[in-house]
Amino acid sequence: MDTAIDKDETPQKSTAAAVFQRVTETVSGVVERRTWPKAWYIAFAISCCLVVLLGISLWHLFFTGIGIWGTNNTEGWGWAIVNFVFWVGIGHAGTLISAILFLMRQTWRTSINRSAEAMTIFAVMCAGIFPLIHVGRPWVVYWMFPLPYDMDIWPQFRSPLMWDVFAVSTYFTVSLLFWYMGMVPDLGTFRDRAKSKIKAVVFGVLSFGWRGSAKQWHRYERAYLLLAALATPLVLSVHSVVSFDFAVSQQPGWHTPIFPPYFVAGAIYSGFGMVLTLLVPARYLFGLGDIIKKSHIEAMCKVLLLTGSLVAFSYMTEFFIAWYSGNPYEGFTFFNRVFGPFQWAWGIMAFCNVVVPHFFWFKKCRTNPWIIMGLVLLVNVGMWFERFIIIVSSLTREFVPATWDYFVPTFWDAATFLGTIGMFLFLFLLFLRYLPMIAMSEVKAATPEAHADHHGTH
Amino acid sequence: MSASSDNELPPGEKVRLGPLGPQVVRVAGAIGVIFLIATVILGLTNGDHMRRFFHSYLIGFTYFVTLGLGALFFILLHHITRTKWGVTSRRIAECITGVFPLLFVLSFVLLLPLLLGHESFYSWSNHDFVAHHEAMEHKTAWLNAPFFALRVVLYFGVWMALSRYFFKKSVGQDASGDPAASDQMRRAAGPALFAFGLTLNFFAWDVLMSLEPEWYSTMYGVYFFGGCGVMFYAALALSSMGLRRRGIAAKSITVEHYHDMGKMLFAFIFFWAYIAFSQFMLIWYGNIPEETAYYNVRIMTDWKWISLALLFLHWMIPFTFLLSRHTKRRLPLLALFSVWMLVMHWVDVYWLVMPAYSPGGMAFSVMDITATLGIGGLAVATVAKLASGVDIIPTKDPLLGESLRFENM
Amino acid sequence: MSEHNQTNPPADGPLWGLLAEVSTPTELVSAAAKVRAAGYTQWDCYSPFPVHGIDRAMGTKPTILPVLVFMGGITGTGLAILMQWWMNAVDWPWIVSGKPYFSLPANIPIAFELTILLASLTAFFGMWALNKLPQVWHPLFRSDRFAKVTNNGFFLAIQADDDKFDREATEALLKEAGATAIEAVHLDADPKKKKMPRQIPAFIAITAVAALVPFACIAKARTSKSSEPHYHIIPDMDFQPKAQAQQASALLPDGRVDQMPVEGTVARGELKADDHFYRGIVDGAWATTFPEQVPPSKESIERGHQRFNIYCSPCHGLSGYGNGMVAQRAEKIGSPNWTVPSNLHQEYIIRQPHGQIFNTISNGIRNMPSYGAQIPEADRWAIVMYVRALQRSQHATVADVPPTLRQTLR
Repeated sequence: MDTAIDKDETPQKSTAAAVFQRVTETVSGVVERRTWPKAWYIAFAISCCLVVLLGISLWHLFFTGIGIWGTNNTEGWGWAIVNFVFWVGIGHAGTLISAILFLMRQTWRTSINRSAEAMTIFAVMCAGIFPLIHVGRPWVVYWMFPLPYDMDIWPQFRSPLMWDVFAVSTYFTVSLLFWYMGMVPDLGTFRDRAKSKIKAVVFGVLSFGWRGSAKQWHRYERAYLLLAALATPLVLSVHSVVSFDFAVSQQPGWHTPIFPPYFVAGAIYSGFGMVLTLLVPARYLFGLGDIIKKSHIEAMCKVLLLTGSLVAFSYMTEFFIAWYSGNPYEGFTFFNRVFGPFQWAWGIMAFCNVVVPHFFWFKKCRTNPWIIMGLVLLVNVGMWFERFIIIVSSLTREFVPATWDYFVPTFWDAATFLGTIGMFLFLFLLFLRYLPMIAMSEVKAATPEAHADHHGTH
Repeated sequence: MSASSDNELPPGEKVRLGPLGPQVVRVAGAIGVIFLIATVILGLTNGDHMRRFFHSYLIGFTYFVTLGLGALFFILLHHITRTKWGVTSRRIAECITGVFPLLFVLSFVLLLPLLLGHESFYSWSNHDFVAHHEAMEHKTAWLNAPFFALRVVLYFGVWMALSRYFFKKSVGQDASGDPAASDQMRRAAGPALFAFGLTLNFFAWDVLMSLEPEWYSTMYGVYFFGGCGVMFYAALALSSMGLRRRGIAAKSITVEHYHDMGKMLFAFIFFWAYIAFSQFMLIWYGNIPEETAYYNVRIMTDWKWISLALLFLHWMIPFTFLLSRHTKRRLPLLALFSVWMLVMHWVDVYWLVMPAYSPGGMAFSVMDITATLGIGGLAVATVAKLASGVDIIPTKDPLLGESLRFENM
Repeated sequence: MSEHNQTNPPADGPLWGLLAEVSTPTELVSAAAKVRAAGYTQWDCYSPFPVHGIDRAMGTKPTILPVLVFMGGITGTGLAILMQWWMNAVDWPWIVSGKPYFSLPANIPIAFELTILLASLTAFFGMWALNKLPQVWHPLFRSDRFAKVTNNGFFLAIQADDDKFDREATEALLKEAGATAIEAVHLDADPKKKKMPRQIPAFIAITAVAALVPFACIAKARTSKSSEPHYHIIPDMDFQPKAQAQQASALLPDGRVDQMPVEGTVARGELKADDHFYRGIVDGAWATTFPEQVPPSKESIERGHQRFNIYCSPCHGLSGYGNGMVAQRAEKIGSPNWTVPSNLHQEYIIRQPHGQIFNTISNGIRNMPSYGAQIPEADRWAIVMYVRALQRSQHATVADVPPTLRQTLR
C-alpha cells in the first residue's frame, strides 16, 4: 500500500467502518443499480400518462375557462380549493419529520426524512397549481405579489388569500433549502462514487465541493438546527394560514377559532398517511428494510393514531360548541353535514378519520405491510373528504336558502386532480431514481458505532 | 447494552427530602390556612354575597389546577414517547400531581353553594339572568348546578385516578426495580392521554368559559392547555432548582436537563401565543357581535392594560430572551424567567376570570392575592408531604442511566 | 517515505500538508485533542458525519450564525410590517371589510412568514458563506484515499503553512495520535491550472446572460412605445365574441351593427333641459307660475294633498303649522339637534314664488333633507299647488267664499 503505517485493524474497528460502508452501499445502491424493479417502470409509465392528462386539463382550462369545472355561483371554490388544501396538508409531514422530530431528537426520523422532505416539496408544487388556476386568469397571477406593475396598485394584505401566497411560497422555499442542505453531504458521497467524469463534475458542483471538515460540520449542524427551529413554527403557520382562509369569514362551519390547530393536526395526519403510502412499498421494492426499520413504520403508525385522535377531538369540539353556542346557523351547518345531502361524504370522512386510526392500537395493524397500506390509503381518502365536507357542504347550504345547491364535479375536475397525483408520483419516482433517498450521513451519525463513547470509554 | 452499573445514580447523590419536607409542610401549610381564613373574612365583609370571593378563589383554584394538569401531561408525554431527558425530573411531576385530591376538596367551596341554590357565583345559575337572556334558555340543559357539579367531580375523579396510578406504579418500581412497570405505564399512557385531553377541555369550558355564559370559543380548551404547559415547566424548573440548593438531586438534574425544561417552557410560551393570537385574530376579523363581546370587555375598557401586559410580558419579552441557549443554560436567568412566567400565568388566569366580575374595567382586590396564596400554601404543603415519603428520582427506571448521561447538541 | 503512491497524480506541486487517516470516530476525537495540545492552528478533521465531541476536542469556537439568523429574522419582521403599512395605508389606502387601513392583527401572518423566510435564507446562505463554500476544487481531492471521507473514512490534515509544521515531527505526531495511514498532499504543479472544465464557467455565463433576456425585453417594452399590436398570448379577453362599431351583422334588420336611435331619444345631458319644470326657474328668477306640464286643476291639488300628507306632514303638520308628530316628539324628548320645522303660514313663505318652494322640496333647506330623489317633479309641483291652497285657506276672508255658499256660514 501507499502508506507508511498499516496498523492491525481490530475486528471491532472494522465493524464500525463496515457499518458505515453498508449504509453507503445500500443507499447509493438504489441509485446505482443497473436494472430497476418492474414496478418502478409500471408506476413511471402510469404517472407519465397522468402528467399528460394534467397538461390536457390545464390546456383546456386555460382556453375555455373554469366553467369546465363543477363550480358555480353557490359553490365557488369546488374541487380546486379542496385539492389545494389536500396537497398542502400532505406537504406537512416532510418538514414535520425533518424539523420537529429533529428538535425532539427522534433519531428514527433519519431513515425517512429525506424522502418525506422530497414529498413535501412535490406536494406543495401540486398544491400551488390549484389556487393559481382557480383565479380564472392565471397569466396575471403575478398580481398577487407586491410588484410595481403597470396598474400601480398593491396587493390587499388584509386578505387571508394574500397570507396564503406568502405562507405557501415561504414554506416551499424553506422546505427546498432544508432539503437541499441536508442532501449536500450525500451528494458529496455520490461525487466520490461517480464512475464517469460527467457524473463526478455534476455531483461535484451540486455538492458545493463538500469535504466534511469538522469546522464546516460545526456550522452545518448549527445551521441545520436553526433551520429546523425555524421550520417548526413555519409548519404550524402554513396550515394555520390555510385555515384562516376559511375561519376569518362569517360562514357557519368555517368561522371557528379552533381551525388553526385543527388544520395542523389534520395536515400532519394526512402527511404521515402519504409518507407511509409511498415508503411502505419503496421499502420492499428497494430492500431498505435495514434502514427503514419496522420500528420506524410502527412509530409513524402511532403518529397517525395520535394526530387522527386530535382530528376527531376537533370534530367533537366543533359539534359540541355548535350546539352549545345556541347559534341556529352554526347548529344547522353541523346537522346538515351529518344528515344533509352530503351525508355520504361525511360518513366516509368520519369513518376514515375517526375510526381508521384506532386500528393502530393493535400491533398487528402496525406491522403487517398490507394492513398498513390499506389503512393509510383510507387515511388519504378521509382527509380529502374532510376538506370536501368543509368547503362544499358549507357553501351549498349558506344563510339564504334561495342560494342552496348541490355540487356535482365534472370530468375535468377529476382529470385535473388525477393529473396532480400523476405529477406528484412522477417527481417522486424521478427523485428515487436519481437522488439519495435516505440521508446517509444522518443515518451513519445515528448508529451506535458513531458515538465516541460507544467502545467502552465509560 | 445498558449494564446495571450504567443505570445507577452518581455516587453520593441525595434523593430524599429529609428534614426539608416537614419544614416546607409546616410553613406552607400555615401560610395556606392563614391566608384562606383571611380571604374568607375579607369575602364575608365585602357585602356582595361572596361574589368577589368566588372570583378570587376561582383564580387561585384554577391556577393550581393548571399546575397539576401540566404535571400530568408531562408524565403522560414522557411515558408515551419514552423520552430520556425527563426521567430524572419525572418524580417531581408525579409528586406535583398529588395536588389533585386537595383541589378536589377545595372545589366543594365552589360546588356546594351552587348546589344549595346560591345564585351569585356563575351568572348561568341566576334565574333572573337566564330569564332575560334568550340564548341562555337553550344552555340550561348543559349549564345547571347538579350536572355541572357532577362533571367537575368526574374530571377530578379522572385526574386523581390517573395521577394515583402513575405515582403508585412509578414509586413501586423504585422498590421492585421491575422494568415491566415502565412498559405498563407506557401502555396506559395512550388511553390516559385521551381521558386527559377530554377532561381538560371540558373543564376549561365548564369552569372558566361559562363565567361569560353567552360567549363561546372552540379554541378555549386549547388556550387553557397552553397555560398549563407554561405553568408546569416554570414550576418544574424552579422546584428542581430549589432542591438543588439543598443538595438534593443536584447531580442528577444537570444543566442539560434545565436546558430542556427551558426549551419546553419556551415552546409552550410560543404555543400559548399562537393559540391566543389565532383566537383573537379570528374573532376580531369575523367581527360578529356575540363573539367580540368577550374581547370588547378586555380591549375597550381599561382591561386593555392587562391584555397588553400579556402580549409583552407573557409572550414577547420572555420569548425573545428564551430564544438564546444561554438563558436556558444559566440557572439564575432561567430561574428569573420561571418566576416571571409563574407571575404572568397568574395574570393570564386573572385576565380569563376577572373581567366576568367587573366588565366595566379593572377592579383589584387584596382577596385576589390572598386566595391564591392560601390555596398555594395548601398545595405546596400537600406536594411536599407526598414528596417526603419517596425518592425524588425514580431510581430504578430502566432509562435512568441514559437520562443521566443525556447531553444537548 | 509515503510518496510512492501509484494512484495519485504526480505530487509535483508544493506541499499542501499531511493527511492522516484514523479508523473510528473515537480515535479521531482523541487524535484531534493531541494535535490541538501540540499547538497546531492550521489543521482540520474530516468525517462522513459530524462526530460527537470533536468540537470540544478541536476547540472550535461557536459560530456566530445564530446571531446573523436572529438579525435576518428581525429584518424580515420589520420589512413586512413596513411594506404592508406603506402599501395598504399610505400609497394605496383602501377600505376593506370595515378594517382600518393599517390593521396590525391582519398583518401578523405575513410578518411572521417573512421573518421565517429571511431568517432561513440567512441560515442557509450564511452557513455556506462562513464555510467558504462552494469551493469545488481543493488540494485534498487529489488524494484518492480522501474519497472515503464521504463514506466511512476519518481523516485529520495538518497544513504545511502552519507555523509549527515540520515534516518529520508532524508525521511523528500523527503516527503517535493513532493514524493508520499518512500521506502527503500536494498542490498542483501549475498553480494557474484550472481544475474546473472550461465548459462549465462558459455554460454558467451563457445561461446567466440568457436568463436576463426576458427581463431585458420586459424592460424595453415598459419604456418604449410601439404602433404594432401587442402579442395575444391568451386571446379570450382580446377577441371577445361581440359586435363592434361599423361592422356588418346578419342578425340586425338592416345588416348593420350601428342602429338608429329609438324614436324620441334625447341626447346625453339634454333630458332635463326644461328649467321651469325641473328647477322652478324662469329667465333666471324663481318661477311665479306653474309649468305647462302641471296646469292648476282640482286633480293636481288633490294629488298634492295626498303627497303632502305622506311626505311633508310628519314634520310640518297636516295643516302646515310646523307641528307634525316628529316635531312634537322631538320637542317632548328635548332633542338637542332638532331644528324646528317651519310654519308654512309665515309671511315670508307666503310671499315666496312657486319656484322657490319647488326648489326647497327638491333640494332641502337647513335640516330638511332633499326630497328630489323620492318625489317626482310633477308631484312636487302638485305639492306646491296644495301648499298654496293651504296658505290661502288659513288667510281666507268671507270674500273668498262663493256667494252661493255664504249662506251656509254661521
